[in-house]
Amino acid sequence: MKSSLTQPLLALGATLLLASSAAAAPQVDKTAVKAGTVITLTGEAIPDGVIVIEGGRVTAVGAASEVQIPWDATVIDQPGMVAFPGFVEAHAARGIDRPNETLDVAPFLDVKDSIDPVNFYFEEALRQGILTINVQQGNDTVVAGQGMVVKPFGMTVEQMMVKPRSGVKISAAPKRGKTRATQAQALRGAFDDLRMYLEEMVQRKKDGDDFDRREALYQGRELEGEAAKGKPLACSGWTIDGFERIPRGEVDEKREPLLRIVEGKLPVIMWCATPMDVHAALRVAEANGFTSTMTLALAPACWKAAPKIKESGCHVILAGLEDNELDPITGESVETFVPKVFHDAGIPFALMSTGDSNRSLWYQAARCVANGIPRADALAAVTTTPAKILGLTDRVGKLAKGADGHVVLFSGDPLDITSVVEHVILDGAHVYDRSKDVRVKQLFDGTRPPGTASDTSAEEEWPGDGDGPEDDDDETENKG
Amino acid sequence: MLTSLILSAAAAASGSSVPADGTSWTIHADKVYTSTGKVHESALIVVEGGKIRAITPGVEATRDALHAPVVTAGMVDASARLNSGTSSVEQSSEVTPLVSAEFGLDLYSPGWGRLARTGVTSAFITPLNQNCVGGMGTVVKTAGDRSIKARTVEGAPMLCGAIGSQPSQRNSSAFGRPTSFFNRRPTTRMGVEWEWRKSFFEAAQAKEPDDAQKVLLDALAGKVGVFVQAWATQDIRTAVFLKEEMAREGFGEMRLVIDAGAEAWREPAMLVRTNTSVILPPVPAQGRTTDGALMSVECARVLRDNGISFALSGHGASRLDIQAGLAMRGGLTREQALRAVTLTPAQLLGVDGRVGSVEAGKDADLILWNGEPFEATTRPVGVLIGGHLALDPR
Repeated sequence: MKSSLTQPLLALGATLLLASSAAAAPQVDKTAVKAGTVITLTGEAIPDGVIVIEGGRVTAVGAASEVQIPWDATVIDQPGMVAFPGFVEAHAARGIDRPNETLDVAPFLDVKDSIDPVNFYFEEALRQGILTINVQQGNDTVVAGQGMVVKPFGMTVEQMMVKPRSGVKISAAPKRGKTRATQAQALRGAFDDLRMYLEEMVQRKKDGDDFDRREALYQGRELEGEAAKGKPLACSGWTIDGFERIPRGEVDEKREPLLRIVEGKLPVIMWCATPMDVHAALRVAEANGFTSTMTLALAPACWKAAPKIKESGCHVILAGLEDNELDPITGESVETFVPKVFHDAGIPFALMSTGDSNRSLWYQAARCVANGIPRADALAAVTTTPAKILGLTDRVGKLAKGADGHVVLFSGDPLDITSVVEHVILDGAHVYDRSKDVRVKQLFDGTRPPGTASDTSAEEEWPGDGDGPEDDDDETENKG
Repeated sequence: MLTSLILSAAAAASGSSVPADGTSWTIHADKVYTSTGKVHESALIVVEGGKIRAITPGVEATRDALHAPVVTAGMVDASARLNSGTSSVEQSSEVTPLVSAEFGLDLYSPGWGRLARTGVTSAFITPLNQNCVGGMGTVVKTAGDRSIKARTVEGAPMLCGAIGSQPSQRNSSAFGRPTSFFNRRPTTRMGVEWEWRKSFFEAAQAKEPDDAQKVLLDALAGKVGVFVQAWATQDIRTAVFLKEEMAREGFGEMRLVIDAGAEAWREPAMLVRTNTSVILPPVPAQGRTTDGALMSVECARVLRDNGISFALSGHGASRLDIQAGLAMRGGLTREQALRAVTLTPAQLLGVDGRVGSVEAGKDADLILWNGEPFEATTRPVGVLIGGHLALDPR
């Protein structure tokens, strides 16, 4: 259903992209997307394929000749286009207020309080076909807050939510103002503090001191049901005798996320800026039992730690494709293409988009192909690998039965330099049509929304002094 | 039969295919894009003594030939800005026509290697934008003997400068006693334009023009090209109206090239009527460049559609092959994008006698690509500059 766009808030690009009603999440029962080529990422590409989406989930993918389209489905038929699963962004500290708190250790914070649905980042993500985004806090931290996986569509955080409390951001690289030593101390300290606190809880329980219970009630937490039960500590790094005596609900809410981290229930994304940070990160993770639920977010220089990372079995997210080093003696510049190092080492890696509209995830994957990484692995780095990192393997990053009903229609192969996203179908609803994208029109055609102050379509070009008609300076437009 | 005769003649002429001095090679390509519009299929290129000796289409690769799917001419970056920063322009005076960028070149900078490895074989280095008329630019090969003489390519003399906010950025009005040359005028765009107009007027009216004024007179007459950085529409207008004013006053017809003309797409008619060429800067990440100019990937296409002669540039930081790809994304064909980074900049800079296309007799500045050029999925895997291997494909 298309509604006319009469909202005056033209600066809010998100509203302008909608082909359907702006206010609520779109409810479309059945959609069939037909395309000249369907890239499923589960096997060979399907020529003249179709994807059927019912109730927001994919129910069938296959050749148009083999798949039955429900008679009451809305059909989007684009024989000249290529259908592709949405890109998956494993980690982005964007679309939120400010990326970091000043507090060193703040795992009780949640980005859901900071996500701004009309932030330009989400509008741009939709335009680039990035449909699943793990929003986390930034790198300037010791232990930051909890992230959330969202889709770049919706006017409220609840509408955008895909998976809450998706992980905690931790940094092994020094926070601004800290040295490597004080950072390491703060990181160790956060977990040592947790351990000491839990031991004290057990001691208080033994002493018959009900401080923790009173504190929990004061913090407004109910101590009923699951929260009233105690379980042994399930941490592979260390243990607390007698912890099963403590009702889980009594654990202080500021430390409870750290408890879930050490028990492997809350994934960690650990930022490393140098190879040394990787070692520090692995030490902390090993000591506290969360190596298997940790993903390393790496600056380009960290390719040198690839063997150590391989041993650990961690997945990586690469923030940057190239590492440039200047040999201090010869003055020669040596460039290393970082994803190739991880590919050759057999380490699964995901890529990150940058703030550059022309170099989004499709570009990152294409550069991998240019530098010798097979196309399938390059595409995996922006789809199935980040989906795995986020624990959403069956839901996003591929076109298969049971997956979320997300389809991106490209004008050509997604990695071709001339291909653009023409349409986006999200949960079965057609939410983006490039031909109606006002911001694209502005930038690319120089057109302006008609009737606005920056609409210059009626003006004649300024002829210069001495030539041409009488000057009328009032008409002259300053650059928008 | 004929092709094999040509082949054996070429092989005989070059002696053995194994290079002795490192400037003689045979290269086989599935496709050679010459930049002249001609495309050779399955061609063998014979390089000898640093020059392209012969191109023979329709032959098989020889055993010791370097092979690549595609070969093109080396790219010419018309605004490479390798030596950027405040040291790149003489700031003690606003108008310094006698200063030449070639004397400020640092051939040991690692930036040359980076340019060469990404396929830029010739770079136009200019005094930059911290004063009004900065001086003369120079075309330099990005690899080869580390001597300015060996690396300079003689071309059309170009007087470089800037119009806009950058020349006045560091200046401030004198507060109390003037303490540095930053307290001189201009502090505004109009002051910058006045410096340009004043120097041209004074040169034109001087009874005995000094050396600097002689350069300005040559610029007015069109014997020396005028290469002006002007990002925003208002600055491009200023440059074009300056040319028109000088012509109206009878001082001559300038040959105007707008460098970093990010907003040239907005008012193309004035560029067309004055036959002004444009060098486009790298496409900005989110739409706005320096001086707040609005630019997208489509700008090259708009200039093409208006028949304006244009070249692309990388400004040192941005890969020129990716800029060509982005111009394709904006609507140029691959052939047009190739011209915009090879033959057209060579012509604008007057060095097309030596570089800018794959033709017999020109310098052996060649790029070996691992696929169709300018795709994000391909890159240069081999680069020859003057016949020397700057990037080894083997």
